Amino acid sequence: MKKQLSKAHEKYLKRLKKDKIIVIFWQIALFVCFLGIWQLLADTGVIDPFFFSSPSRIAVTIVDLFANGNLLLHIWTSLYETILGFIIAVLLGLIIAVMLWWSEKLRKILEPYLIILNSLPKIALGPMIIFWVGSGTSATVVMSVLICIVITIISMLNAFISCDKDKILLMKSMRANKFQILFKLVLPNALPEFVSVLKINVGMAWVGTVMGEYLSSKAGLGYLINYGSQMLKLDIVMTSITLLCVLAGGMYGLVSLLEKRQQK
Amino acid sequence: MDKFLEFKNVTYFYQTKTSEIHALDKLTFAVDEFQFASLVGPSGCGKTTVLSLTAGLLEASEGEILLDQKPITKNDPRIGYMFQRDHLFEWRSIWQNITLGLELQHKNKDQQKLSLAENLLKKYDLYGFKNKKPHELSGGMRQRVALIRTLVLEPALLLLDEPFSALDFQTRLKVCDDVYDIIKSEKKTALLVTHDISEAISMSDRIIILTKRPAHTRTIIDLNLEGNTPLEKREANDFGKHFEMIWRNLSSEETIIKSP
Ligand SMILES: Nc1ncnc2c1ncn2[C@@H]1O[C@H](COP(=O)(O)OP(=O)(O)O)[C@@H](O)[C@H]1O
Ligand SMILES: [Mg+2]
Repeated sequence: MKKQLSKAHEKYLKRLKKDKIIVIFWQIALFVCFLGIWQLLADTGVIDPFFFSSPSRIAVTIVDLFANGNLLLHIWTSLYETILGFIIAVLLGLIIAVMLWWSEKLRKILEPYLIILNSLPKIALGPMIIFWVGSGTSATVVMSVLICIVITIISMLNAFISCDKDKILLMKSMRANKFQILFKLVLPNALPEFVSVLKINVGMAWVGTVMGEYLSSKAGLGYLINYGSQMLKLDIVMTSITLLCVLAGGMYGLVSLLEKRQQK
Repeated sequence: MDKFLEFKNVTYFYQTKTSEIHALDKLTFAVDEFQFASLVGPSGCGKTTVLSLTAGLLEASEGEILLDQKPITKNDPRIGYMFQRDHLFEWRSIWQNITLGLELQHKNKDQQKLSLAENLLKKYDLYGFKNKKPHELSGGMRQRVALIRTLVLEPALLLLDEPFSALDFQTRLKVCDDVYDIIKSEKKTALLVTHDISEAISMSDRIIILTKRPAHTRTIIDLNLEGNTPLEKREANDFGKHFEMIWRNLSSEETIIKSP
C-alpha cells in the first residue's frame, strides 16, 4: 500500500517536473522566435530597421557603446540611482508608516495630504525638483523616492492597521508595551505585505529613474534614450530599453529570491 | 472556600460615536478558589466584557471587582487570558510561541520558567512539535499550545473566552477533556465563557447565567456531577436535569428559577 502511494507520488512529481520543463521550453522558444522574426522582418525590409532596429543592430550597438567606454557608466548610473531611490523610499516610507501607526491623531491629521500626494502625478514636480536639489543624480534619486514612498507608506500603514485586534489584546494581556507590540507582532505580521511592496517598488523606482534622467542628466539609460531619440539614433534607444528590461527583471528576481527565503 | 474573583454591582458602558452601549448592569457573582466556573448567556449580552474587565483591559464604569479580596489592578500577573481563536504567531515556532509571554516580561532567561514550559510541552504531548510552525499542527493541538502559552506565566486565574468554539465537535470533546485536566491538575481557578450548555455543565463547578444585555446575574448554579472528566460528567444522572433548567433559564426572559 505504502509502496503504491509512493509510486503515485513519484508519478506526480515527474509530471510536475515535466510541466515545468514544458513551460521553460516555451518561454525560451517564444523569446527566440520573437528575436528571429524581428531580425527577419528587418533584414527583408518589411519593417524599417532605422525605426524598429533589430537584434543584430542592438548587439552591435552594445558592443560599440561598450567599446566607447561609456555604456558601463550609463548602466551603473541608472542602477545606482534606482537602488538608492528604492532603499531610501522603502526605509523612509517604513519609518513614516510606523509613526502613523503609532499615533492615530497624526494619522488622521495627515490622511488628506497622503491622499493628495498619492493621486498627484509626481512627474509634475520634475522642474521644481531640479530647482530644489539641482540636476543630475540627486534630482533623479529624489524623483524615484517621491514615486515609491507614497505607495510604501500607504500599503505598510494599511498592513499595520489591519493587524488582528485580538492578537493585540492577547499581547496586552501578557503585559506587552507598545514597542513590544510593534516589534514582536505588528512588524513581523506585515512581512508578506512588505515583500509585495518591495516588488511593486522595483518597477516604480525604475520609472522614477528614467523620468528623472529624461528631465535632466548627463548619464544613465534614460539619458541615452533621450539622447538617442534626439540624435535620431534609434538603435541606441532600443538598446537602452533592452538593457532596462534586463536590469529591472534582474532586480525583481532578487526580490523574489528574498520572498522565497522568507517563506521557508 | 474563599472567594477568589468577585464582581460587586459592576456596571459597564461602551462609548461609541453614535451611542452609549450599556453592556453590564450591576453584575454580581463570585468564583471560589480552584473552582471551574462558566459564564453562559445570550450572544452579545456582555460575557467577553466580563473577561476584559477582569483582565484589566477595560475599566468598570461602576462597581467593584476583587481578586483575592483586593481590587484588581491593570495587568495583574495572576490573570491569564485565553481567546476564542488560538492566535498563535505563524512566524514563530511552537516553542517561541509558548515562551512569548516570558519574552515580553524579560523572563526568558529564567531557567525555572523555561523548564516549566518544557515540562508542560512534554506532559501534554507536544514536545515533539517544539520546533514546528503552528500551521503544521491540528486545531486541537494549537488550542493546547495556546493554553500552555498562558500557563507558562503561572496565572492563578484563567479566563477562557469560548476557546473551543472554532473546533469541530469530536475535537472539542477531546480538547475539553485535555483543558479540564490541565486546569485541574495545575490547580487553577478558571472562568470559562461558552454558549454551549452541555460544555458548561460538563466542565463546571459553578455556572453563572447572565440575562440579555445589559447583563446582570440571572441565576448561579453550583454543580457536583459524578465523573472525573467532562466526558464522564456528560453521562452523569443529573446532566439532563441541569441541561433542562439552564435551557429554560436562557430561553425565558421573565421567570427566574432559583438554584437548587
Ligand atoms: N469595543 C466595543 N465598542 C462598542 N460596543 C461594544 C464593544 N465591544 C462589545 N460591544 C457591545 O457590547 C455588547 C456586549 O459585547 P460582548 O461582551 O462581546 O458580548 P458576548 O461576549 O456576550 O457575545 C454587545 O452588544 C456588543 O455589540
Ligand atoms: Mg464574546
